[in-house]
Amino acid sequence: MLRAALAAVSLTLASAGHAQSAAPSPQVLAWLKKIEDASRRLSYSGTFVYQQGGRSETSRITRLAGADTERLEVLDGMPREIVRTRDTLRCYLPESRVIKVERRTAERSFPRLLPQQVGVLTEHYDIGLGEKRRVGGFECQAVVLTPKDDLRYGYRLYADVNTGMLVQAMTVDPSGGTVEQFTFTELRIGQVSPDMVRPHHASRDWRVEDADAAPTHLAGWQVSPELPGFHKVGELKRRMGESRGVGQLVYSDGLAAVSVFIEPLVAGREAAPGLASLGAIHIYTREVANHRITVVGEAPAASVERIANAVAYRRP
Amino acid sequence: MKDKISELMDGELDGRAGSAAIDALRRDGEALEAWRTYHLISDAMRDTPLLSEGFAARVAARLAAEPTVLAPTRRPALPRLGWAAAASAAAVGLVGWLAFAPQREPAPQVAQLPKQARPTVVVRALPKAANDYLLAHQGFSPRVYLQGMAPYVRTVSEPIEEPAK
Repeated sequence: MLRAALAAVSLTLASAGHAQSAAPSPQVLAWLKKIEDASRRLSYSGTFVYQQGGRSETSRITRLAGADTERLEVLDGMPREIVRTRDTLRCYLPESRVIKVERRTAERSFPRLLPQQVGVLTEHYDIGLGEKRRVGGFECQAVVLTPKDDLRYGYRLYADVNTGMLVQAMTVDPSGGTVEQFTFTELRIGQVSPDMVRPHHASRDWRVEDADAAPTHLAGWQVSPELPGFHKVGELKRRMGESRGVGQLVYSDGLAAVSVFIEPLVAGREAAPGLASLGAIHIYTREVANHRITVVGEAPAASVERIANAVAYRRP
Repeated sequence: MKDKISELMDGELDGRAGSAAIDALRRDGEALEAWRTYHLISDAMRDTPLLSEGFAARVAARLAAEPTVLAPTRRPALPRLGWAAAASAAAVGLVGWLAFAPQREPAPQVAQLPKQARPTVVVRALPKAANDYLLAHQGFSPRVYLQGMAPYVRTVSEPIEEPAK
């Protein structure tokens, strides 16, 4: 009885806390920093499972910290592979014998959001520590990010107490349901050789599709009003698939990001407007001023749709 | 034609006559409608429990997901034809939910947002081209600073084929 009453009181306090932005304790910030450091500093190799909507996929991720190189290999179905180095990301698609290349210079010219901008993060999320729990053989500390509104998802991050390595991450919707989950089912820290992060496909004669992304100003295009808490962090032009000139506007609240892609309509390739989803990702497509607008983001459907509907073109 | 459909259902047609009736089902909306109606009647007469809503679409989706067997067959089996046709209109939306979100209530986050614009369109499975967008987007997601490459797995997910429209 007492416990129930206490729970009720703390719930009330928690919701009252939504109005003001309670600064997270130094301990919590230290945990976020520890996780961020571990993702850069550690070499590791592990099997992880991505689960969403009753489907699960197994992959292997290997990181060699010294070379700042990471490799992701899908273990189910087609053995697709991504190798990311300091300045380039290459995605190997064996079924089409294509290598998609993203240079990371464009990505790098935009601010790193963590941990420098933790202040931004706390405007939209309450950040606290949760329980300690064993995940995949590791004793983990939960770091819980609870959104202050329904425009974004929440996150439960389970980090290894010793190293800070993120062993499990869940994306949680406003009703508390898990939208998607990443879990290392097996993880070995250290003992990574350069061989393990090299692409395994013999891809010498594959077609290379380079995104050629570069920061730019997309004259006339804007998203107005912006979704509360989401601010523009990037504006670039790039190539994508068969489309040559695609504009990309990126908005973020410090943790979630939403991209707005703008490309001229091509006769015969019109896509029906609508919403599609994969785990926490929603994609909303519509047409504006003879262009196809595709909004992609790890945010609830209503948020992605609101951003899409706010895209406007005014002749500059 | 309706007599032929009735005979086909009762297994009284074979050989060329059976093939002709099946062809008619494929071409002729009225014949297909008769086929469905007759089955509904026969189900009602036998007290067969009605299948849950969207059953045909689910079966069509499962069939679509089956590996293709490259054996010489003269024409597609009838159930596939009938169900695929019945499902075609609804399948895009339904399969999206079935394939991706069977454990979740449809759009719970939408239910949480009564005052905001609700998505007015059906949620469907990601189109094949979606991986290009995801790959282009993922590098800008601050999550990679916490999680390394793990979120990239979404960009190389095996696409679920949308059923042919």
